[in-house]
Amino acid sequence: MEELVQQLVNGLAVGSIYALIALGYTMVYGVLRLINFAHGDLFTYGAYLGLTLLGSFALQDRLGLAAGLLVLAVMVMGLVAVLGALLERAAYRPLRSSPRLSAVVSALGASIFLQNALMLIYGARYQVYPDILPQTSVEILGLEIPVLRLAVFGVSITMMAVLFLFVQKTRVGTAIRAAAIDQDAARLMGIDVNRVVLLVFVIGPALGGAAGLLVGLYYGQISFTMGWVYGMKAFTAAILGGIGNIPGAMVGGLLLGVVEALGAAYLSHSWKDGIAFFVLILVLIVRPSGLLGERVAEKV
Amino acid sequence: MNRMTRTLAALGLALATVGSARAADTVKVGLMAPITGPWASEGQEMKRNVELLAAEQNAKGGLLGKQVEVIVEDDGGDPRTASLAAQRLTTKGVVAVIGTYGSAVTEASQAIFDEADIVQVANGSTAVRLTEKGLKHFFRTCPRDDEQGRVAAAVIQKAGAKRIALLHDNSAYSKGLADEIHAILKAAKANVVFFDALTPKEQDYSTILTKLKTAGPDIVFFTGYYPEAGLLLKQKRQMGWKVPFVGGDAINNPDLVKIAGKEAAAGFRFLSPPVPKDLDTPEAKAYVAAYQKKFGEAPSSIYGVLAGDGFRVVAKAIEGGGSATAPAIRTYLTTQLKDFPGFTGKISFNGKGDRVGELYRVYQVDAAGGFVLQP
Repeated sequence: MEELVQQLVNGLAVGSIYALIALGYTMVYGVLRLINFAHGDLFTYGAYLGLTLLGSFALQDRLGLAAGLLVLAVMVMGLVAVLGALLERAAYRPLRSSPRLSAVVSALGASIFLQNALMLIYGARYQVYPDILPQTSVEILGLEIPVLRLAVFGVSITMMAVLFLFVQKTRVGTAIRAAAIDQDAARLMGIDVNRVVLLVFVIGPALGGAAGLLVGLYYGQISFTMGWVYGMKAFTAAILGGIGNIPGAMVGGLLLGVVEALGAAYLSHSWKDGIAFFVLILVLIVRPSGLLGERVAEKV
Repeated sequence: MNRMTRTLAALGLALATVGSARAADTVKVGLMAPITGPWASEGQEMKRNVELLAAEQNAKGGLLGKQVEVIVEDDGGDPRTASLAAQRLTTKGVVAVIGTYGSAVTEASQAIFDEADIVQVANGSTAVRLTEKGLKHFFRTCPRDDEQGRVAAAVIQKAGAKRIALLHDNSAYSKGLADEIHAILKAAKANVVFFDALTPKEQDYSTILTKLKTAGPDIVFFTGYYPEAGLLLKQKRQMGWKVPFVGGDAINNPDLVKIAGKEAAAGFRFLSPPVPKDLDTPEAKAYVAAYQKKFGEAPSSIYGVLAGDGFRVVAKAIEGGGSATAPAIRTYLTTQLKDFPGFTGKISFNGKGDRVGELYRVYQVDAAGGFVLQP
């Protein structure tokens, strides 16, 4: 029983990171029907930028730990958002009216470019965050749970909730949803679709960058290739929840984390990824558009 | 391969031969290394070592009166990329290739070099089966996993462990080593309570650590690589779990301590060929000093130095055999090279291409994060 709860906690913590990254995939797909394969690399940039800013400004010493980290997070999210917007301008906008395959190839190319640029800038070795966070744990229901683990979970959930409210309750959010349903109709209603696309490429990468920072702060070790594994998992989570659907990405991420943890714990750890993808296939057989995806009639 | 491509390949080969005949004033030695990819730090270190040694050799007048030219190909730490890299090297007129690091990667390139009559000297590939295929041109400067398995089992038994956990990462090297240790422990009727794999390149190992902890071992042997080992140690400490961890020779990299943090790494033990700073022959000391002078830091990885030793035995064979051809190099390495003073100790090869002699030592990480040779 104790192991079960512990594994659930493990799964939720990892899952919340997957979910945060999955939001970037799902928002871009919702509006553009494009899988932004470079999103995993933007996540990696978040982790590296966090490391550099942490080293060069030492905000935690000047402003105190909490305020310092908050400013750091805002800076990282802002910079990665700029990167996301640049990526959209350079790699995707010129191909907006091309066949979808061209954009996918462009996305893969952008991913390779970003990853190798990072290797050339920082070198190929693993980079390590300084230990600035307290390593304490709290006892909950007889379980020792590191405080950081709870913080990672809490921060992710908060950001997702804010995004959800933004998309559901504000005018700009309505514009995003409208552009996702039908771009031409949205344009006729006076929505600047190009700006919506840009906005999506600002919000998604900002959240991805925040996830990168969280991973860096919590796990400590970052490498220029880490975006690949996380990107893959987050992409799976987005499909699991129903790609294009924001709550779906959150549910998919958390579910994927928990399925992985429980499968690894009670079946076989070597088959961890296998189990996760098996669940994905099962879900897609029963609900081809994902858990929360809507069944949309194919446009003719 | 159909006739068309075969003709093209032959033509390409002929052109390459013409090209190399025209530029026959150099002896070409290939280096296949993971310059990019997850093991890029190892690969770049290999490149530094081999290029430094080639430059030293050229300063001394080269080989057989010709300059040595090192041709580097990147295998990306990936078997598919490696087979392409190997094919490119075969068209460039190299007589021998140094590398590569990972066993599965080396395996993908072995047959290509052997068919092209090119000597290959691997530097980090310890999987047993690589030298059990009867390939004529394959050598390695690193030891084999069955030897490592014996040393590992001895370390575990000497620690007096009653409940033993073995953890690998499903790679050819890691699983092979874990299987070797498992077989020896089973034969000795030791109690192995856990045998499973983690997924490399992830960052959260809390799931496997929780599972391990539930199995209640009093020693854990991890046969994977240093990035995962560092994270395991760090997260083990965060969990407040105190069981001793021991690791295999892929963990020997100073980045281990950086990743895990000094407190978490302290007390961790691993097997390894001697690390560069413990190389005590005069040649090795002079070399480490030269390396320090050129790159501003001591060599951090033993596998880079083993690649350097690979280059040196090839150079020695070309000089000693008086011919820069694969058959001459092979004959010299298997029959005439005896107790060559390598940086990593005396080097001789047996008929299979394996290095002869005991190479493994036990290291422990001290409180300051240094690797201390255990008696």
